[in-house]
Amino acid sequence: MAVKIRLRRMGQKKAPFYRIIVADSRSPRDGKFIEEIGTYDPSTDPSTFKINEELAKKWLANGAQPTETVGKLFKAAGIEK
Amino acid sequence: MDKIYEQTMLFDFYGELLTEHQRSVYEDVVYRDMSLGEIAQERGISRQGVHDLIKRCDRILQGYESKLHLVERFARAKKTVAEIEKLTLPVEAPEEPGGEPGEKPGAGELRRMQNRLQVIRKLSRELLEEL
Repeated sequence: MAVKIRLRRMGQKKAPFYRIIVADSRSPRDGKFIEEIGTYDPSTDPSTFKINEELAKKWLANGAQPTETVGKLFKAAGIEK
Repeated sequence: MDKIYEQTMLFDFYGELLTEHQRSVYEDVVYRDMSLGEIAQERGISRQGVHDLIKRCDRILQGYESKLHLVERFARAKKTVAEIEKLTLPVEAPEEPGGEPGEKPGAGELRRMQNRLQVIRKLSRELLEEL
């Protein structure tokens, strides 16, 4: 089973924030996810994020694929495999 | 501004002006962070096709923004409202001793409040003029 780390949009209209979630790559639309590992709020200036580093590293080590956007956040947070 | 945030805001304001198909694909990108490959596979269209569709939607939405500036105005209004909210918070600094000679106690406080109200009135007027 391929596992992905991706953003999921939350928040009201015009006030988005995102959860960083780990989910099965085949179910991007059904709302299920395995674990939430952080949040990303781009509406603040500068944008802010919170990532559980331990969990992020664990999932990366287990072969979970971050999306491009999540990859950028990880890089900004200094998280690498 | 971060790309996904920019796309999300444009979509929140102008998304209804896209066709249903465009909207559905664009949502996969900005709400679910799906890759072009994933969208292509799921919908049985080429990756290039998805890429072109997203680019076209970006252009359409940015076109509306360049004419209507709703996202930009919203951002400015949000900033002004934040300033107003700050002005309604309790005054932190204690009243400086002395004040004007012969002033009644509490007069400095009152003056500060009046100044704040004046600024709030000015900001509110600006807010309306924006729209």
